[in-house]
Amino acid sequence: MIDVTLQLARIVQAMPPVPASEVLHVSGQWWIGFILWCPLISLVLCGLCAACRVKSKLPAWITVFSLAISFVLTLLLAFMDTPPERVELFKWINVHWDGGSFVANFAFYIDSLTILWMSFVTGLGALIALYASEYMEPDVGRGYARFFAGISAFLFAMICLVMGDNLLMLYLGWEGVGFASYWLIGYYYQKPEAVAAAKKAFIVNRIGDLGLALAIYLIWSTFGTIQYNELITVLDAGTYLPVYENWSVQAIPYLLMLAAFGKSAQLPLYVWLPDAMEGPTPVSALIHAATMVTAGVYLIARMYPFFLLAPESLHVVAWVGGLTALLAATIGMAQYDIKRIFAYSTISQLGYMFLGLGVLTTYGAAYHVFTHAFFKAVLFLTCGAIMHGFAGQLDLRKISGLRRMKGWRIVSWTMFIGCLCLAGFPLTSGYFSKDAILAEAFVSQGPGFEVLGWMAIFTAFLTAYYTFRVWCRVCAGEVRCEPGDEHHGDDHDAGTHGGEFHPHAPRFAINIVLLLIAAGALLAAVPYFMGNEVEHVAGGWVADMVHDSTAAEGVPGHPEHPASALHGAEAHHGSILGMDPHVAMYWISACVGGLGLLLAFWLHLWRRQDADRLRSWLLSRFWTRWLPVAMENKWYVDEVYHAFIRAPLWLFGHIFYAIDRYIIDGLFVDGTARLPRLLARCFQPLQNGMLQSYAVTMAGGAVLIALLMLLMLQFFTGGAVS
Amino acid sequence: MIDKLWFLIPELILFAGVVVVAILGLVHSNRLRGWVPWTTGLFIVAAGISVPLVYTAEAMETSGLLVPGLAAPAGMIACIVALGLLLLSIGRVDQRYELAIAQGRAVFDPIRATGGEFHVFFLLSLAGLLLVSIANDLIWLFLALELASLPTYVMVAMSRGSIRAQEAAMKYFFLGAMSAAMFLYGFALLYGATGTLVLTEIQASFADQIARGELGILAIVGMLLALLGIGFKLAAVPMHLYAADVYEGASVHVTAFLGFVPKAAGVIAFMILLSTLGWADGAGLPAPILIMLWVVSVLTMTLGNIAALLQKSVKRMLACSSIAHSGYLLIGIIAGPGAGFNAAMLYLLIYGLGNTTSFAVLSSLQRGGVELESVEDLAGLRHKHPWSATAMAISAGSLLGFPPLLGFWGKLALFIAGIASGRLVLVLIAAINSAISAWYYLRLVGLPLMADRNERSEAVESIHAPWPRLVGLVLAGMLVVLPVILGLLYWMTDVSR
Repeated sequence: MIDVTLQLARIVQAMPPVPASEVLHVSGQWWIGFILWCPLISLVLCGLCAACRVKSKLPAWITVFSLAISFVLTLLLAFMDTPPERVELFKWINVHWDGGSFVANFAFYIDSLTILWMSFVTGLGALIALYASEYMEPDVGRGYARFFAGISAFLFAMICLVMGDNLLMLYLGWEGVGFASYWLIGYYYQKPEAVAAAKKAFIVNRIGDLGLALAIYLIWSTFGTIQYNELITVLDAGTYLPVYENWSVQAIPYLLMLAAFGKSAQLPLYVWLPDAMEGPTPVSALIHAATMVTAGVYLIARMYPFFLLAPESLHVVAWVGGLTALLAATIGMAQYDIKRIFAYSTISQLGYMFLGLGVLTTYGAAYHVFTHAFFKAVLFLTCGAIMHGFAGQLDLRKISGLRRMKGWRIVSWTMFIGCLCLAGFPLTSGYFSKDAILAEAFVSQGPGFEVLGWMAIFTAFLTAYYTFRVWCRVCAGEVRCEPGDEHHGDDHDAGTHGGEFHPHAPRFAINIVLLLIAAGALLAAVPYFMGNEVEHVAGGWVADMVHDSTAAEGVPGHPEHPASALHGAEAHHGSILGMDPHVAMYWISACVGGLGLLLAFWLHLWRRQDADRLRSWLLSRFWTRWLPVAMENKWYVDEVYHAFIRAPLWLFGHIFYAIDRYIIDGLFVDGTARLPRLLARCFQPLQNGMLQSYAVTMAGGAVLIALLMLLMLQFFTGGAVS
Repeated sequence: MIDKLWFLIPELILFAGVVVVAILGLVHSNRLRGWVPWTTGLFIVAAGISVPLVYTAEAMETSGLLVPGLAAPAGMIACIVALGLLLLSIGRVDQRYELAIAQGRAVFDPIRATGGEFHVFFLLSLAGLLLVSIANDLIWLFLALELASLPTYVMVAMSRGSIRAQEAAMKYFFLGAMSAAMFLYGFALLYGATGTLVLTEIQASFADQIARGELGILAIVGMLLALLGIGFKLAAVPMHLYAADVYEGASVHVTAFLGFVPKAAGVIAFMILLSTLGWADGAGLPAPILIMLWVVSVLTMTLGNIAALLQKSVKRMLACSSIAHSGYLLIGIIAGPGAGFNAAMLYLLIYGLGNTTSFAVLSSLQRGGVELESVEDLAGLRHKHPWSATAMAISAGSLLGFPPLLGFWGKLALFIAGIASGRLVLVLIAAINSAISAWYYLRLVGLPLMADRNERSEAVESIHAPWPRLVGLVLAGMLVVLPVILGLLYWMTDVSR
């Protein structure tokens, strides 16, 4: 009896057969897949813990353990020192037809860029999860498992993004990290600000995601594939292709750029990142400082050959990066919330990375990503420790002299290390990575790149100032503190004796993680001094790594480095004040860093009253009054967006809502839906419950149908039937 | 004669059951009387098992029946659904009287007790349904149809305490008698047109007449009256008017029975009767009959569905929707033997299961000792009876044809058969009707599962006997699991992979 349905099932199953796809050199060990599967397993287990309402720290240990395995496997991969290779986990999408195909397998593309990114993604992921095991303690049994499930989901998506072998997997990871970010920013979902921030982050990112989706479509329709190895083979051949004349080749870099600016919080899409600080601090450290926000840099580095096809796009990247760095630094100077200051500093440092990409030093950008991941993670984690200990207090005016408090020494000094690196103090990791970018701004020739270079140097000065403003206010000076208003858990109430507040100092997990990551931040300078194995390349291990990847053309000294290719050999080296930029930059950047540091020590440690005096002096002058006001109000960017984008959209939304509600729904849909009921009311009188009436209606109906049939008979037989 | 008797074994088992149950139902011992439903069930199972053994393919070849393939599936479908119908009536039949006896408030009085009678009529009606499927002449067909119907009149009337049941029984009986007269008159005209009562001979005669191009008006009118009269069993327009009143008036377990057994008898009789006139030598139905069936099908599904939109009573809503399902079934009949009849039989089974599930849930619930009345009584059922609420939602989804529930595949088979036979417009109308039916079926999904309780549904509780609830759950599970299992079996045995 069921053969009809079976027939249908057969039709559905009769899809065109999938031909065996020609697999390019697939190699690799079976265990490589576990780099990706470990966070996934952890996600499932944490989900189970949440479902079973586990009231212990089990989810944290599951997450830390699985991320540690991922990290160890990544290190193994790094030490295997393999050439770029593909590792296929399983077949995902394989559609072939005459003259075309769409192939996106669940596979890894492993080159040194991947390994560079993976090393700090998994390493910091594991350490920060360990930190969070103590930080999230008050939530054990409530949101604890949900938090660690989110962290695992984030790592899973981030690994997809970084290791994916094709753009679709990158897109999967891209959306996945966006979702995980939404999940974790909105972790305190009872707080309206957290919910609003989560939504803002998600929606602003969608604008960038649109760019990525369109770019993937265009890449596929132009080049017929979205797999990195095939794309690179096409683009690296060095031969001219007719498709280079297509408009899409010019459009692809700009779309990719849009995506990168959304995810990495650059102008004009940076506004979500400061608000994202509503999430728990480990999340800010991991996702919104060290890893996810660098995905935009990764995207551009990975897709660098596309940008070289349209070199003007790189100028845009450079300018956007430079302007963002300056703007965010000026805002960061005037904020009082420590976490916000570091958020703006993240935006600013990301701006440096994009500047690096734009001025043709993928090496500088990648190195800065690497060092920034460590020192910014340390800064956020110390913020978290302070927030944890002082009941959510983050205002730098309310805490002072932390380094003299009992149990806070590690926090203050790791923060000091982080600040040194961020400020670009000589011989710290931040100093070398920032110099690599700044010098190249003078080396590479582009529209206004020299202005951009000086701007970036000024930004470096501001960076040193606002960084040490935080440290001098919070960690140095007289001992003084006011608690915040968050009392999560009983331990804080226990700490409040008769109205007097006792901050509770971080314990083992937080301290050990702070020390480890601070050590990492310092040691991140070591690769700079490691010898180069690749010829003509300077800048240490990271340069070697980048040289072996898709972003190779952006490494200074690369034979195909476009600075030489485009402008001739003699134009390769610009100069600063008549000196070699690389040499000059060591001195200039040391000077501006030192100046900023001294200014911060003067205004915020030695003579704190001078800072207030300066502010009131600025406010009292008509011509300068706007400056502190605008900076404290973040240059009113949110307000401008609200007035010019949100408000019109809101208006349109309401107009369309009204159209939908009253015309589409009301008139068409509900009108159609009412038709059967109206019809039913017409027939209702027949159903009057009276037997006689029923009998008459039945007989009448039979007669009517008989008449109809006789008519039909006449019609069909022409009356020939007797 | 001997081979005829061999053919009657399933029916004879049921008749033997009638005798046993009739006696058992009058026994004084409460415990023995408690065995009545189980004995009935035993005989139904025995009959169901005997069906495939007796109506084997070889036996049917020599049976001389007009549609030899009908008997086995019809018998099995009938017995399977009847088991569900039987189980959902446990604890419902003669409920108050049996409760009074059990609590010692009353003594058993054979005159007042109706438990045995209900099961007797249950078995008789079922036997009538089985007999319809092996009818080989018009008299047999008439008697079998009436054997399937007459007991149902009594079953409706059996709720003596309820004045509405009495009214419903009266309406049902009188209108049923009228319809019987109508189709018997039609049979008489068919006899007049062909000069024989044996169905195979009627078919031969019609084939001869059609071949000579002189199919008489007598034959057409006779067929029309016969079909319209039998349409009463299906509750097909214009003979549908009784359905809403009768289904609402009858007790819930009787309504469930009415929704399936007479309808199945009608569908099978339609197939047999139409086979005399159509589909011979690869031709279709004669145009007038085809158009009449088409019109009846469209009117039945449309009027049934739009009438259901207005209903506030659950039983009345399900009654109206069962009219609509008759309209869908007619698509399969119009599509003809092969895929069409297969789809109609499949749909009959699937509809029967869905219908039984929803009535089983209704049967398992009561409010202040009486059946549920309004749809609103089901609001927020999940709070107290989460499983019943789920079963109700699943059955409504299946009746609506929501994928991947069983009802979807039934409807799909019908629609595919309809399209394959070239009745695209009819199938489109049916699809629109399915959409209309979503309006009221989704209320049966939404109210139990999503709505909050109101003061009426606060008082809803389950009846003492667990069986109706259990059968509802089991059938709902089947509605979900069967498509998966069939899909898996298909996948496992697919050679083309």
